Amino acid sequence: MNVVVKSKIAGLILAFSIIFFGLESSYSVLLFMIVMLSIGIPHGSVDHIIAFINPSARKFQSKFVFFLTYVSLIILNIILWIISPFLGLLVFLIISCYHFGETQVIGYNSTDNKLLNFVVGANILLSLFLNNIAELQEILYIIPEFSNLDLSGFDNVFFLLISVAILMLSIINFDIKRKVPLYAEITILYMVFFHTDLLTSFALYFGFCHSLPMLMLEFKEFKNDNFAKFYLKTLPFTILSIIFGFLLYQYNNDLLTSDNLILFVFIVISSLTVPHVFIMKDFVKDK
Amino acid sequence: MEMLNFIFDAASIKPGDFTGFTFFIGSVSMLAATVWFLMQHGQVDKKFKDSMLVAALITGIAAVHYFYMREQWVLDGSSPTELRYIDWILTVPLMVVEFALLTGVGMRKLFWASVVMLVAGYFGESGVTGMLDAQTWGAVSGLAYFWMAYEVGCLSIFGGPSGAVGNALASGSGKIPEAGRMLQWFVLVGWAIYPLGYMAGTDGWYAFVAIDEGAMNIIYNVGDAINKIGFGMAVWHAARS
Repeated sequence: MNVVVKSKIAGLILAFSIIFFGLESSYSVLLFMIVMLSIGIPHGSVDHIIAFINPSARKFQSKFVFFLTYVSLIILNIILWIISPFLGLLVFLIISCYHFGETQVIGYNSTDNKLLNFVVGANILLSLFLNNIAELQEILYIIPEFSNLDLSGFDNVFFLLISVAILMLSIINFDIKRKVPLYAEITILYMVFFHTDLLTSFALYFGFCHSLPMLMLEFKEFKNDNFAKFYLKTLPFTILSIIFGFLLYQYNNDLLTSDNLILFVFIVISSLTVPHVFIMKDFVKDK
Repeated sequence: MEMLNFIFDAASIKPGDFTGFTFFIGSVSMLAATVWFLMQHGQVDKKFKDSMLVAALITGIAAVHYFYMREQWVLDGSSPTELRYIDWILTVPLMVVEFALLTGVGMRKLFWASVVMLVAGYFGESGVTGMLDAQTWGAVSGLAYFWMAYEVGCLSIFGGPSGAVGNALASGSGKIPEAGRMLQWFVLVGWAIYPLGYMAGTDGWYAFVAIDEGAMNIIYNVGDAINKIGFGMAVWHAARS
């Protein structure tokens, strides 16, 4: 059994336990924070090494050029969110769709089909949001384009049905080596999205279907026998990312207030994701 | 604690509540089947591994939802229609997928048919679109069901024509034709409870079908258990060869 499958099974067991035992919504923030700090952020914290050890990704002449590009992309993304939250969200969604889809198809198909990567990621994010539509509306009310959006007339089953139908039609219209296992795995995700709140859903998906498999692949790439030693290498930039989050939180802006903590968290994730996606695009090429 | 109740505390179902008892039986039998299919996953030939995994997934998803359905029934006595639909939306496509896994053909047609069947069925039962009446949506959903039944070769049981999936099942190697015939019976007879349930739950020329909510849930619970576990058992039968 490979590391990707093992990571996903760990997530599956956790997801089923949460659904069976029931997790009080007040604990979802805690679960989210634990997953993000222990797996989510660390999986992107070795980008500066990955970018140089992967032969197909040596596009940077030096570490300085790498960091300059990396930090510039983060700053540009924050500026975009401040100038136009709608555009910031749009860019985040487009990039995330591609990135999440690209890592999701590993083990089921080659990552060469960029449209497939995008469509698979779009399906997952669409389902995540549709199946938690009430919470999504609360988050998005601050963005003018969504302030009048009212989807309360539709019930939850409708959104689940729509997301499953779109997934089925997406899967049959692409040439995928292992269609059924891919479909089956995403079906489990949809069940998790339906039965848990937005933060828990995102934590379970992002932590165990995306970050942990990537972290394990990165560990393999490092050819390091000791996982603890590898994990220690993720710590400096994990800590820096947390400091970055706190600094951003202090920024006094209507968009970045404690009234909309989930949106704030998405802005932080989006800012860290934008440069990370470009590094991972090359990393997953032959996976 | 909830989980422990789920396993051990069948006593929370009121005495004489046969419907509640079938919800309990549904949840534990699905859970047991899931464990069984997962154990068999390691025993079967490589080409059947995905089939066994999907079989386990179908019963696993159903076990989760039957657990919730039982809770709802025991707590307030209401019919868990929404939970039932959630379960069907997730598991019906997976059951359809078993045909494609056994034969390697027909996934596109069967997925389209199940999308139409589920979407039209839901639109009819919920009235969410505000367009057309329940019997028209029911007819659309029914047509998709018959299309699927034809495609998987249900008519061939009586010597009738068959779609590509049915033909592939008949000409499959080992015990696939035998297992295929079992699956065809499940689709033809077992799945017939779903349109019956739809007719009992909506208004239309078929009003005479209407029956008591408790009885309807018993039919659904027993039918679901037979269909889902039986589907997996038929696939396991083919995989043993």
